[in-house]
Amino acid sequence: MSVQYPPKFLMRFFRWFCDPELVSFVEGDLIELYQYNTRTKNRWKANWIFFGEVLKLLRPSLIKNFEGTTKLNNYGMFKNNFKIAWRNALRQKQFTVLNLLGLTIGISTCLLIGLYIHDELSYDAFHEKGDRIYRVNQPFIWGDWASTMSTTGPNVATALREDAPEFEEVTRLMSLGSMTVTTSANGNQDNAFKENRLYAADENFFKVFTFPLMIGDSKTALQGPLAILLTKKTMKRYFGLHVTPSDAMGRTVEIKQYDGSWKSFVVKGILQDVPSRSHIQFDALVSIKSESEMMQAHGWKWIWTAFATYGLVNEGVNIASLEHDIQAIPPKWAPPTTERIFNQSYEEFTAGNPWKLDLQPLGDIYISGTPTTNAFGPIGNPLFVQLFGAIGLLVLILSAINFMNLSTARATNRSKEVGMRKVMGSRRLSIIQQFILESILFVSVGTMLAFILVKMAIEPFNHLADKQIELLPYVSNPILYATTIAFILIMGLLAGSYPAFYLSAFMPIESIKGKMKAGFKGKGFRNGLVVFQFTISIALIICTFFVQKQLSYTSNVDVGFAKEHILQLHNVQELGFDTEKVKNRLASNPQFTAVGKSFGIPPYMSTGDRYRADDPESPVVQLSNLRVDEDYLDVLGLEFLRGRNFETDRENDKYKVILNEEAVNKLGWTIEEAVGKSVALASGGEEAHQVVGVVKNFNFQSVRSEIDPLILIHHQNDHVWEYGAGLSFYSMRLNPDAIPTKEDLNKLLISLEEEMKQIDPSIPFEYSFLDQEFDATFRSEQKMGTILNLFTVMAMIIACLGLFGLAAFSAEQRTKELGIRKVLGASVAELAVSFSKEFTRLVVLAILLACPIAWYFVRQWLQDFAYSTPIEIWVFVSAIAAALFIAISTISFQAIRSANRNPVETLKDE
Amino acid sequence: MGKYQLGEFEEIVLLTVGVLFGDAYGVSIKLSIEEKLKRSVSVGALQSALKRLERKGYISSKEGESTGERGGRPKRYFQLTSSGKGAIEHAREVRNQLYNEIPKVALDLKFTQS
Repeated sequence: MSVQYPPKFLMRFFRWFCDPELVSFVEGDLIELYQYNTRTKNRWKANWIFFGEVLKLLRPSLIKNFEGTTKLNNYGMFKNNFKIAWRNALRQKQFTVLNLLGLTIGISTCLLIGLYIHDELSYDAFHEKGDRIYRVNQPFIWGDWASTMSTTGPNVATALREDAPEFEEVTRLMSLGSMTVTTSANGNQDNAFKENRLYAADENFFKVFTFPLMIGDSKTALQGPLAILLTKKTMKRYFGLHVTPSDAMGRTVEIKQYDGSWKSFVVKGILQDVPSRSHIQFDALVSIKSESEMMQAHGWKWIWTAFATYGLVNEGVNIASLEHDIQAIPPKWAPPTTERIFNQSYEEFTAGNPWKLDLQPLGDIYISGTPTTNAFGPIGNPLFVQLFGAIGLLVLILSAINFMNLSTARATNRSKEVGMRKVMGSRRLSIIQQFILESILFVSVGTMLAFILVKMAIEPFNHLADKQIELLPYVSNPILYATTIAFILIMGLLAGSYPAFYLSAFMPIESIKGKMKAGFKGKGFRNGLVVFQFTISIALIICTFFVQKQLSYTSNVDVGFAKEHILQLHNVQELGFDTEKVKNRLASNPQFTAVGKSFGIPPYMSTGDRYRADDPESPVVQLSNLRVDEDYLDVLGLEFLRGRNFETDRENDKYKVILNEEAVNKLGWTIEEAVGKSVALASGGEEAHQVVGVVKNFNFQSVRSEIDPLILIHHQNDHVWEYGAGLSFYSMRLNPDAIPTKEDLNKLLISLEEEMKQIDPSIPFEYSFLDQEFDATFRSEQKMGTILNLFTVMAMIIACLGLFGLAAFSAEQRTKELGIRKVLGASVAELAVSFSKEFTRLVVLAILLACPIAWYFVRQWLQDFAYSTPIEIWVFVSAIAAALFIAISTISFQAIRSANRNPVETLKDE
Repeated sequence: MGKYQLGEFEEIVLLTVGVLFGDAYGVSIKLSIEEKLKRSVSVGALQSALKRLERKGYISSKEGESTGERGGRPKRYFQLTSSGKGAIEHAREVRNQLYNEIPKVALDLKFTQS
C-alpha cells in the first residue's frame, strides 16, 4: 500500500514554524497518523483532522525560535544594536546626560511654544459654521479714514440683509458699555453688579454663532424685547451658587439705564460659559429689541459705531467678489444719515475716502490683532506668535546641533568598534543603521522626557502667559502622534546621519591600528556648529536685554505730568444730585491735595470728534475730547503754555475750551495766537467755542502712541453733544505725607467706600491708580517679556551644554598632550589658558557675528514704538560680557580639571 | 509535592511512557491514551507535554528507526528515567496517603446520597 501524503502546503507551513529539533519526529508522527486516518476514514476527513493537528501544534513551546535565524528579519541585529547603544550610554554617562538634557530642554521648549502657538491660532474654532462667518470692518469714520475699526453702524447689517443675498444671516452685537445690574426689584439694590461685558444681540445671533444654551430655546430666546441670557457663571453670581439653570429661568434682573431709571429683563435662557478662546467675551446678552428706543432716538443709523456686524455667507460664495459687490452699499444707504446728522453730503462727510466694508474671516479676527479699535474681547498679537515660533524653531535647531555635535564627537571614540565590525564582515549599511538607530533611540527618550517636563511645566507657564493651555486634550490627538513620530525620525536621521556616514566610511585597518586621529576629523564642522549656536544665543540675549530695557523705558517715560499718587474714583455719574456734595467732602480731606472731575481718565481716553477752526473754509480735523471741571487739570498738574484754566467764578467759562499743543498745530495755528481764537464742531450748526488756554502736551493715551490732539471742554458745557455721558470720574492727588503707610491707604479706601455706600449702596465702588493703569497698557508686553527671558535662558543653557560637552571631549582627547606639557614644566594656569583659548576663540567669533544681527532686529522692533529706548553700546557690551562669562566658566571647569590631573596618571598607560 | 512537579496530563503521559516500555513514541503514546482514557489527544498537546517532561528530566529520548509508513521520517522513542520513576512513585504515594486519610463515613454511599 502506497504512502499517502497530507496536503503539501500544510506540510510546508508546519515545517516553517516548527522547532527544527523536533520537526522530523513530529512530521513522522503526523504522517503516520495521517496514514491511519486515511485508512479508517475518508480522505477529506483525514485532511481536516490533519489541518486541526497542525494548528494545534502552533504553541510557544513547539515553534521555532525566531531570533537569530537568517532570512526572517534583522531582529537579532536590532537586538544587538540596542544592547550596544545601551552599553555605550552607560559607559559615557556624562555625555549621555548632557545629550539627553540638551535634547529634553530643546524639545520641551519647542513643544511648549508649539502649544502656545496652537492655542493662539485656534481662537473661535468652536463655532460650527466658523468657516463661513465674516466680520464686517469699516474705516474709522471719526478721524483717520485709512485705519479700520471692527464696529459699524447698526444699519450696515440691515443694508446687507437687503442688498446681499449671499449672506445666509447677518447679525449684530452691540456693546452696552458699563452698566449696573441688580437682581432685586426696583430701587432696593443691595445686590448690585457692575457689568462691563454686557451686549445686545440680534435674535438670529445663535444661527450664526455656536454658544450652546443649557436651557432655553436658541431660536426664540432673543426674539422679544426685555429678554436676557446669562452665562452659567453670571447666573451663579446673581442668584447664588446653588441655583440650577431651570430655577433661574424666568426670573428678572434690573438694569440701570443711562437716565437713571431701571428696566427689568426676564431670564430667557442660561448659556454655557464662553470659552476662553473666543474673541467675543460676554457675561450676559440682552435682546437687541430691548434697545430699540435708543436705536430710534437719534437716527444715528450709519454713524453709531457701537455694533459689531457678523455675516454668515452661503456655502460656496466667492468672498472676493462679494466683498467687491458690497462696496456699493454705503454710498447708497449712508447719505440720509450724514445729511440729517451732520448736514453734510456723503461726499463731504467722507472727504473722498472710500467707505470700505471689509470682510474679515472669523478665524483671523483674534490672531491678526487688527483692527484694535472697539474689540469685544481679547485680541492677539501676531508679532508674538511669529517671534515665539522663530524662537521655538531656533531652540530646537540649537538642541539638534548640540546633539549632532556631541554624537559626532563621541562617535569618533568608537572608530575601533567600527573597524572591528567591518573586519567581522559587517556591511556599511548595517553600521549606518546602527548609528541612526542609536540616535533615534536618544531622540525618543528625550522626547518622552520632554513630554513629562512639559506636563509639569504647563501650570507655571499658563500662569506666566495668562493662558489656559492643557496638554491632556492633545494627547488624544492623532496629529500630535504623527508629528511626534515624524519629528523623532527626522531628528534622529539628521543628527545620526553625520556620524553614521562619516564613521562607516573608515578603513578598518587604519582605524584598528589607531592611525586615524579621529578626534580631529570633522572638527571644523563641529566648531562651525558651535559658532552658529553661540551666535544665535548671544543675539537672543542682546535682543532680550533691549526688550527689557524698552519695557522699563515705557513705564518710566515722562507722560507730561506726575502720574504717581493719583487715585481715580469710578462710577461718579451715578451719584446724581449728590455729586457736588461728595466732591466738597473729598476736597476737605487733608489726605488729598486736589480733587477734580472728568468724563474720562488716562490712559483710556478714546472719544473724539470732528472740529474745525471757526471759519467754514478751514479744514476739518479730528480731535480727542475730554470734559473736565476747573480742578481736574490741577490734579494732573498740567503746565499752561498760554492762557489760563477754567475759573469757577467766571460764568461764561463753561462755554470756553482748552487745547493741547498738538491740537493747536492741527488747527493750523501757532501757540502764541491760539488763545482767543474759536473752535467749532465740524457738523455744522453748532456754535463756536473760544480758546482760553493751551496746555503742554501730555500722554492721555498709552505711551505706545504719539500724543494726539486734545480739546478740553468744560463739564457743564451744554452746547455740545453729551460726550462720554454716562461715565465720570473723580481724580484725587494724594498727599504722600498724610498717607505714610500702605495701611493708611487701605483705611482711606475703606472710608471712601463707606461714603459712597451711604449715598447709594447700589453704586459699585471702583477705583484705580493712574500710574498702575499706565503700566497695565503694557501688561501683555511685560508678560511676553518674561516668557522671552525664559526662552532665552533655555537657548543659552543648550548652547552651554554643547560647549561643555565639546570641552569635555576635547579634554579627553588632549589628556596626553596636557600631561606632557605639565611634565615639561607648564603651570596649571598656563595649561588652563591654552585649553580655554581654543573655545574662547569660537565664542568671540560668535559675538562678532551676533552683534550686527541683533542690532538689525532690535532696530526694526524699536521703530514701532513712539517712545523708544536708544540703542546704546553698553547694552551690547554687557550682553557680550555675560555671554563670555558664561561660556568661559563652562569651559574653565573642564580646563582646570584637566590641567590639575596628575601627569603620572594620564601618561602611565600605552 | 516539593521535589516532583507533575500536571494531570503530564502524569498520564509519564505513566503511558512507562506502560509502553520500549515502544513509546508519539503515535503510540497518543493512541494508547486515547484508547484507555477515551479522550482525544492532539499531537501538539502531546509533544509539548513530552517536551516539558524531558526538560524536567523524567523521560529521555533517542532517535529510532524510520518506516515507510512515516514517509521515511525517524521515530523518537521515550523512556522513563530514574527520576521519572521517582516522580510516578511519589505521585502514587501521595494519592494513596490522601485516600487512606479520608474518613470511612465520607465514602459511605448512603451518606453521600442523603
